[in-house]
Amino acid sequence: MARRQFLAILRKDLLTELRTRETLLAMFLFAVLALVVFHYAFDPRGTLDMTPYAGGMLWVVFLFAALLGLNRSFAQEKDEGCLDGLLASPVDRVVVFAAKACANLLFLALVQLLVVPLFTLFFVQHGYAGHAGGIALVVLLADAGIAVLGTLLATLAVNTRARDLLLPIVFLPLVVPLLVAATTATTAIIAEGAGLGAIGGRLLFLGAYDVVFLVAAYGTYDYLLGE
Amino acid sequence: MSESMRAPVGQDQAEDATIRLASVSVRYRVPRERMASLKEYTIRWIQRRVQYVDFWALEEIDLAVERGEIFGVVGPNGAGKSTLLRVLATLSTPSSGSVRVAGTDPRQDPTPIRRAVGFIAHSPLLYPELTARENLRFYGDLYGVPDAAARSDALLERVELDTRRNDRVRTFSRGMRQRLAIARALLHRPRVLLLDEPHAGLDPHAVDILDGLLAEVRTDHTFVMVTHSLERGLQWATQVIVLAAGEVAYAAPVVGEGGVAQPGAVAPDEMAAACRRAMGGGPEGAC
Repeated sequence: MARRQFLAILRKDLLTELRTRETLLAMFLFAVLALVVFHYAFDPRGTLDMTPYAGGMLWVVFLFAALLGLNRSFAQEKDEGCLDGLLASPVDRVVVFAAKACANLLFLALVQLLVVPLFTLFFVQHGYAGHAGGIALVVLLADAGIAVLGTLLATLAVNTRARDLLLPIVFLPLVVPLLVAATTATTAIIAEGAGLGAIGGRLLFLGAYDVVFLVAAYGTYDYLLGE
Repeated sequence: MSESMRAPVGQDQAEDATIRLASVSVRYRVPRERMASLKEYTIRWIQRRVQYVDFWALEEIDLAVERGEIFGVVGPNGAGKSTLLRVLATLSTPSSGSVRVAGTDPRQDPTPIRRAVGFIAHSPLLYPELTARENLRFYGDLYGVPDAAARSDALLERVELDTRRNDRVRTFSRGMRQRLAIARALLHRPRVLLLDEPHAGLDPHAVDILDGLLAEVRTDHTFVMVTHSLERGLQWATQVIVLAAGEVAYAAPVVGEGGVAQPGAVAPDEMAAACRRAMGGGPEGAC
């Protein structure tokens, strides 16, 4: 039953996004434009090796692109009054959270798939294909943290009048530790060719971060999604 | 067709389709003065100048609705009618008092109530980018309806939307959305139906469809129907209360010929007068 409900909410969110393309288009355009701005702001002549700073730029872009998507994740439910329909049904609130977080994770991953080649073109002067596994692991763990924390806080913000303003204000300070771990791990891989052993501590931190906020969501979501 | 609309009736269901409210109050804390903006509110909150007052959306409400009864709730805007429905639908938690819907206290476990209740809210609770059928399938999955596809098709036919089943809801008129909302509310064969102005936005033909559906399921279900119109409430209800400012201004069974409670009776003068008082003397024809 919970699986059927989870898949129904996830399918509904994906189908809605497939038809409107509001969130994905906004996230993708923002990410591309941010990369272009970074390129012209830091290295307009194209002479510098930006590889040591590439990890930081990449995660700043991903983080703000994710914020755009997170802001939208409950907006439609609220705007169309559908949140009451969801809450009046016999769905465990944790199932709602899991489905929403998965949808946010998928949207972010899709944007990353499209943006990373452009990012490599703009900012990375030597290939890092040999470290794709390490990069993928960092991205997966960091994305999970962004989706879990972001969905939790988007739920908190949805019942407030200024939800578009509130979400970044509470999300960004809390996501800084994740940003630091993801940035240093990514930079170590891209710039220094570090292996999994060298970034093991940061991977562990990212995993622990995900678990902490998953537990927080499990414990508080019923309350957060209520009145 | 009508048989497929009905929930299977059993002894357990007969006992579990009742509603009991005892001294139920819902209180919100609101700023004493209306703030022009969030900025003003924030500044005054930092300066500790925001004073809060208690706003009682519902105050000391008692009611008992038996299986098969239609309970009408009449009152003006802001009387607490929708708050009452939200309490019964487990969307709002009372500040005090006890609630039992379908034999269950929502504070102990709201899930059985959510399974038992069908809710037609003020907004249709439909996703505009999904088709009519996808919306019903979505809610069918949430409620675990075993024959969701067949049931959705039957209900779409019943509300005369079968030719539009694959159209997105955003292309529907207000009346069509309301008809689809009725199908959504009946999809999981609820034992208790909560109706918030169900006739709003419907043309006469759609009103006939809704009334036909309600007539088909009325013997198996317990209804709570919120309406601005006492006439509409009396057309269906076996009991009517008039709510004003969160309190029951008047309550009585609808008494027909021979003193037997039955729907469709003429409003007692006292009830009409209470309704007019609650409405503040208007609007014309409401009471």
